[in-house]
Amino acid sequence: MRNYIIRRLLQMIPVFLGILFILFFLLDKTPGGPASNLMDPKMTPEQRAELAAKLDPDIPFYEKFVNWVGEAIQGNFGYSITHKKPVTEVIGDYIGPTFALALCSLIVALLIGVPCGIVSATRQYSRVDNILTVVSLIGISIPSFFFGLLLLKFFAVDIKIFPLFGLQDPLLMNPNFFTKLADYAYHLFLPTLVLGMGSAATFMRYTRSSMLEVIRQDYIRTARAKGLREKVVIYKHAFRNAMIPIITLLGLWLPSLISGALMTETIFALPGLGKISVEAVNARNYPLILGINAMLAMLTLIGALVADILYAVADPRIKYD
Amino acid sequence: MNAKKLWALVLCVAMMAMIFAGCSSSNSTNILKMGLSGYSGVFNPIIADNLYDSYVCATIFEGLVKIDEDGEVVGDLATFELSDDHLTYTFTLKDGIKFSDGTALTTEDVAFTYRTMAAPYYQGPRAYAVSSLKGYEEFHSGATEEFPGIEVIDEKTIKFTIADGQAAPSNAENFQYGILSKDYYAHTTWEELVAKNEKPMGSGIMVFDSWAPKQYIKLMKNTNYWDPDRAAKIDGVLMSEVPDTSMLQALQNGEIDFGMPSASAENLKALEGMDNINIENYLGNGYTYMCFNTTRDTLSDVRVRQALIYALDRKSFIKAEYGEDLAQVGMAPISPTSWAYPDDPSVLNAYDFDLEKAGQLMDEAGWIMGEDGYRYKDGQKFAVNWLVYTDSTWTQTISSMAADSWKQLGVELDIQLMDFDTVASRTTEPAPADKDFDIYTMGFTLSVDPDPTGALFDADAYVAGGFNASGYRNERAQELIKEGRAEFDTEKRKDIYEEFAVLMNQELPHVILAYRNEIWGVNKRVSGMDLDTYKDWTACLRDITLS
Repeated sequence: MRNYIIRRLLQMIPVFLGILFILFFLLDKTPGGPASNLMDPKMTPEQRAELAAKLDPDIPFYEKFVNWVGEAIQGNFGYSITHKKPVTEVIGDYIGPTFALALCSLIVALLIGVPCGIVSATRQYSRVDNILTVVSLIGISIPSFFFGLLLLKFFAVDIKIFPLFGLQDPLLMNPNFFTKLADYAYHLFLPTLVLGMGSAATFMRYTRSSMLEVIRQDYIRTARAKGLREKVVIYKHAFRNAMIPIITLLGLWLPSLISGALMTETIFALPGLGKISVEAVNARNYPLILGINAMLAMLTLIGALVADILYAVADPRIKYD
Repeated sequence: MNAKKLWALVLCVAMMAMIFAGCSSSNSTNILKMGLSGYSGVFNPIIADNLYDSYVCATIFEGLVKIDEDGEVVGDLATFELSDDHLTYTFTLKDGIKFSDGTALTTEDVAFTYRTMAAPYYQGPRAYAVSSLKGYEEFHSGATEEFPGIEVIDEKTIKFTIADGQAAPSNAENFQYGILSKDYYAHTTWEELVAKNEKPMGSGIMVFDSWAPKQYIKLMKNTNYWDPDRAAKIDGVLMSEVPDTSMLQALQNGEIDFGMPSASAENLKALEGMDNINIENYLGNGYTYMCFNTTRDTLSDVRVRQALIYALDRKSFIKAEYGEDLAQVGMAPISPTSWAYPDDPSVLNAYDFDLEKAGQLMDEAGWIMGEDGYRYKDGQKFAVNWLVYTDSTWTQTISSMAADSWKQLGVELDIQLMDFDTVASRTTEPAPADKDFDIYTMGFTLSVDPDPTGALFDADAYVAGGFNASGYRNERAQELIKEGRAEFDTEKRKDIYEEFAVLMNQELPHVILAYRNEIWGVNKRVSGMDLDTYKDWTACLRDITLS
């Protein structure tokens, strides 16, 4: 197992470099540049050209790639052009809310999605199953921005029990740890609901279909034939095997939670990575685009590895050597 | 049973949170709350390159001069005199000016600020503010430490000398940027300087308290303000990140005191319906324009350009996109609020929608309607492309209107949708020979001085990275630009710009499409906020009181 993990980690390096290389190639082919946004009419063309060269040197993309990797190994990811500070600091500023939102909504999604999926599968075609199926289909098909605006309209404008925007109340006087935490929870409640519900629906569909497959297996029939209680059969014998596709989903869900929260972040004005990534692309802020995408690529690779390791934990039949 | 318990828990949590949050935000009634979106945290007046960061800078820092509500340059921290040859500006600082940390603001700080803008390592957008000073090239290239254009006479007096031949009224505007403390902002590299961006310190009426990226910026009253009679009357300003989608709701339920929703008829109507809100509505200092690539066979004839504009119903466009009260048809490359705008606008042609006239002009230019409904000349079909960016809606509205009316004129229009940077990369960015477009549309923000040098209509700006992508050159227009730039007599200057405006309105290398208004919603508890084209909210801040 240890050898397997080391081998996988080593394999990640060329894959990661490959992703970065493609990224550099694509950025090179994108029209425009960081200076396209510097539209101050008082600047002369020479001054613009000088600035453009400082922001984005005119060298082939593979040279930029080599330079970037060389610097990145030493922990230097460059300066974000719009924020005028190191990329790592910018990502540090915005990653907190994104992670908090991703984690909370993932917990909500799992707590709601998985049990509903199991109930739905064990009572296939019952009234409960039908209702859950319809609800989850609505959950999958309703766009998050619409659901978010609906919640805002109801909870923040009509009955005013939740805030309209932001992550914290900046006018909070002398906050201690608990009031701060409560303030965050208060602000994150609706966004978590929006993001969590969408994911819960997906998790439910996966759990249901995977569970249905498992409970038709011979060993489940054997377990029932032994006279085990239905609860033990489902939650001990069937559930563990049914979890394997969910684990894969979780591994791949990790990066998409970060990048996929864009709509939610925009509607609730949360200071997250999704929002600054879009801004970075619009402003052709190359160092920041590279920093964020390198991080996402890394997370995807790690997510896939963690999922593979968890397979072995969930299913003793899977062994790596 | 379980579901009931869960529901109860959720409600409990929500209620607890409300109690915590509810009891905490007292004591904040004397804080002015603004809603905005788009600041990036570069709170340094010589580095900031977006409007929202500049707002913050304008409250924390003060410049030698400022722009008053009539668009005139007047002294702020200093009084100034211009020498008879219009080359030397001598500033005398007012007495007792102090930074918010208590240290005195002297001419050494002024020199430090302007030398930083000229430094070889400088990567900000304000090089133009110092590049006309004497000795800039040598200093900026790093060849010498001497900068003869900036001369400290004594603690209170400083002299700026403009290089020979660069005298212009617009130079005065370059002295409006906030003064940095040479001790607080002491640095040896660019990285050290920008490291202070999030901890700004200046002499203004506000001090920086705290901020959280994309959440809020909190400014508090500068209790040490050097001129107590002119200090702020409010305790602070809270600028919250509010997305455009929530701006109206936030104004309505009082979460913010003021904000600028996009100027559209429906937003204006919504604001009018709120009884807690006053509306500030004024003409913005800028315009939207259409550029013709006059090097193309199709667009080189002025009659064709005129025909295309006669065949574009801009009044309907304005009605559909902004609403009649919020924009007007553009005619001159000067804002109607400027003193330089012709007193009698009838000298300019508004090109009212007239398809028949458009057809005649096309015929005169030799483009004859063919049997397939398109115009031809020497076997060439009249086909043009139009680069439209999708970052805002107006470009799409006007191009789709043109697609319809130009079709009737016999024009084949190819609308190409892309993002803003891509439009720039095919129009203003490339060298003249590589400019790859027939028509594009964009917005332009004007500076206070009407000098068009380097802007859309200056043929010398027809270079890579220059703003003029039309390729049109008219020697008389170039003469007028040069004369206007150097003329210090306002009456003569006005005549020069009127002739220029009429000429460009006739020749149409660019078409000024519309002048747009800006609207702000301001809570009725705010008094003293009286916004205008040249007077933004930061200029009103001293006078604002809250009830």
